[in-house]
Amino acid sequence: MSTERQTQLVSTQSSIGSRATVAIIGLGLVVFAVSWLALFQWIGGETDVLGVGLFRLLGVCLLFIGVGTGACGFAARSGRIAATPRRSAGLLTGVLFGLLGFLVGGLSGAQTFGLGTAGWLVSAAGIGTAAATAAVFPREELGSTIPPSVFVTFVGAVITAGIIDAGWTWTPVDLSVTLIGPVVVPLLTIVASLIGVWSAAKAHSGFGARGRQSGAFLLISLSILGMLSVLVLLVGFIVVRGLDTVLTDAGVGIGSITVLNIQIPWVDVQIPFLMNVTQGLFVDVNGILPAIVGTLWLVIGAVVFAVPLGIGAAIFLTEYSESERFTQLVEIATNGLWSTPSIVFGLFGLTFLLPRISNNHRSLLGGQLVLGFMLLPLVVITSYEAIKAVPDEFRDASAALGVTRWQTIRSVVLPAAMPGIITGIILGVGRIAGETAPLLFVFPRSTFPSSVPNVLGSFEFSLAPPFVTNEALLSGGSALPYQLYASITSGHVPGQTFTVEQFGWGTAFVLLIVVLALYGIGITTRLYFQRKLQHE
Amino acid sequence: MSKFDTLSTRVHRHRPEDDGALAVLGVGFSCLLIAFVLFLTGSGLTAVPFLGFLVAAGVGWIAYQPTTAKWLMFLATVVTVMTLGLIVAFIVREAIPAIRMMGVDLLIRTNEPLWGSGTFSLAPMIVGTATTTVIAMTIAAPLGIAGALFLSEIAPSTVREIVKPGIELLAGIPSITYGFIGFVIINGFFDSQLQTPTIGNYFTVGLVIGIMALPTIVTVAEDAISTVPESMKSGSLAVGTTDWQTMKSVTIPAAFSGISAAVLLGVGRAMGETMAATVMIPHTKGFPSPLFDVFGGTGETLTTVIAFEGGNASGTHMSALFAAGVILFLTVLTLSVASQIIESRMQRKLGGKQ
Repeated sequence: MSTERQTQLVSTQSSIGSRATVAIIGLGLVVFAVSWLALFQWIGGETDVLGVGLFRLLGVCLLFIGVGTGACGFAARSGRIAATPRRSAGLLTGVLFGLLGFLVGGLSGAQTFGLGTAGWLVSAAGIGTAAATAAVFPREELGSTIPPSVFVTFVGAVITAGIIDAGWTWTPVDLSVTLIGPVVVPLLTIVASLIGVWSAAKAHSGFGARGRQSGAFLLISLSILGMLSVLVLLVGFIVVRGLDTVLTDAGVGIGSITVLNIQIPWVDVQIPFLMNVTQGLFVDVNGILPAIVGTLWLVIGAVVFAVPLGIGAAIFLTEYSESERFTQLVEIATNGLWSTPSIVFGLFGLTFLLPRISNNHRSLLGGQLVLGFMLLPLVVITSYEAIKAVPDEFRDASAALGVTRWQTIRSVVLPAAMPGIITGIILGVGRIAGETAPLLFVFPRSTFPSSVPNVLGSFEFSLAPPFVTNEALLSGGSALPYQLYASITSGHVPGQTFTVEQFGWGTAFVLLIVVLALYGIGITTRLYFQRKLQHE
Repeated sequence: MSKFDTLSTRVHRHRPEDDGALAVLGVGFSCLLIAFVLFLTGSGLTAVPFLGFLVAAGVGWIAYQPTTAKWLMFLATVVTVMTLGLIVAFIVREAIPAIRMMGVDLLIRTNEPLWGSGTFSLAPMIVGTATTTVIAMTIAAPLGIAGALFLSEIAPSTVREIVKPGIELLAGIPSITYGFIGFVIINGFFDSQLQTPTIGNYFTVGLVIGIMALPTIVTVAEDAISTVPESMKSGSLAVGTTDWQTMKSVTIPAAFSGISAAVLLGVGRAMGETMAATVMIPHTKGFPSPLFDVFGGTGETLTTVIAFEGGNASGTHMSALFAAGVILFLTVLTLSVASQIIESRMQRKLGGKQ
């Protein structure tokens, strides 16, 4: 809408201006993206691009951006670009550029010119004040283009001239770190390109209220893009590096199984990493089967323990509790329990559960209960929300039929809230399946287990209390996240097949698949039921 | 039958089936109480009264389902609240020997020896936790608030439906996985390229924790921003402001307390983060000199010291670790309660104006 009006009023001038600003923004975004690749060292700083080194090319691009934004500012001032600027770029902009100027002045004074403390303080304060003044006092189109332009041009010049290049190093006096060119140059170009892009985006929308919106939205969108890239990077790293380990010696063959004395051909899938124990005499490829089974049992135990309690508490709070104060107390306690650090649950399990259930030995049951305690607040919170979201009309309609409150809950409220509750449980399980800290003191038996817990087969009944015992539940084992931790901290893995890192990536891959699958199911069910609710 | 139920309450206050239900539940609850006491004392006989409770609950369920259901749910609520109480009671109990031995020195001693041979000072770990939390929040707070604004105010619904699950996934990736990547890739990078004295330091730990605290802030802040009534925003837009002006001058100020609650919760997450920090940090106790040298050779936080040494500590050493847990727990609990009070106050304020 905004561009329409502009083109109608001052068509030729603004289209040149808007093309120029779009070009600057585009160039800036390219510099931004390439700088990240260079920071991760996926592209070397000396890579030859169009006959010049990459860093130098980035520097030249920054020079263009710097000069371009400055030109936009002056063009807007002289009326060649349509703009509706304010009287000033604003105090916040001034403060930020003042700080930036302070940093530039201080760092170049101390590092490049080797001034003493007094020297760099003077240069920092001087340049900082100058930058702040240049941002605040002129009208907006100059205040928000000239300081960025000067900064971006300066960075571009420093990099183009090779003052900071790939071979540059600096060890600051009070920091135990050596800054090197291949890291510093991309960082500088990232900051400079962001500032240049922000300034050009403001110019593109003609400064003023609309310009500020463009600048702000651009930066906000970039930060979201950053978050998603982190996610993609994390998952990508694990998948690329882990898949190799998981598929070691894997094969698909035709086998057969015998059912009722009849041989039935069967696809025989062999994935040793998933099907072998971690340590054993006759194991070629060390696998993580004990950890997978351990995680499975832990999750089952935690769900059996926490889900009935959690749903019960949620129903009581929404349907029965009449004292608001009591509800509030429970809510605060539940949220407090939710934010309790996971390692504290581990300590709690160590001192409260182990002496009482398994004679101070680490045990599967202890792990299940500790994870159950962690799952409990999640189930309470999500079920509470889900039950609260059931419209009161449902309850009134049911009550109008003359049934008791409990019948209403059982046959109206709970079924309506079930999708929300189930989603919450699945997401909660996804969370606790990856927890290591609470298990550290209550569950692990050996770093690399050589057997798989046999829970179903170890129940023993007796007439004396406690009537039922289960050796497998009362002895420790391993879980996926713990297995990953163990292989990192022990620094070696059994067998010759894998290095520590390979084994770690493989375990991380399996763990990630388990957690992502749970999250995927949870989020899809939620979307499905949301859609269904909206259509009704 | 149910009609009778309501009728009989109106006519006679006294219902005979209530007596039966109360009797059964009374027996059940006393059994459970006995079982709990026996469990606390570590008795092997716990199973007997617990079985009694199960039988009573079963009988109650068959004969007086509504009443039994209500009281069982009440019980579930009590168990939830009690868990918090039990955690406090038990970790404080274990921490007492260390507190008694060290006194205030447990928190403030800065002279060598700091840790081991009969002296335990948590001061280096408190400094470590503070340092990593500050670094983490410098990254997570601005990015998290920007993300929340984007999700609730800027993004079109199709983009939102892709981005929001993405943020949730970021929260779902297990902390040990972050730690493994941080350990292999980020620590490796700082060690080989930037020549830091140790593999791992406060900066790399803070960086990773910051990314991990991000989803908490985004989700909670987004909730806070979306509680701002639409009418307030529309009022502002009607005056002719841009979306950004509305956000800056109406939405953010109105949701400010909720956003700060989100940041507080983020601080709690960052402080309590254990596994990623444990595998990445060098586990050397001391104070960085100067204090802002986050790349230096020292590194230990409250959570990492517990996770790293808890497995084979005993006596006062273990008790000192429990003391670290108490500090951590109480701080995070305070943050959580504070953020809830802020949030409920904000909802009351906005709800009242609506």
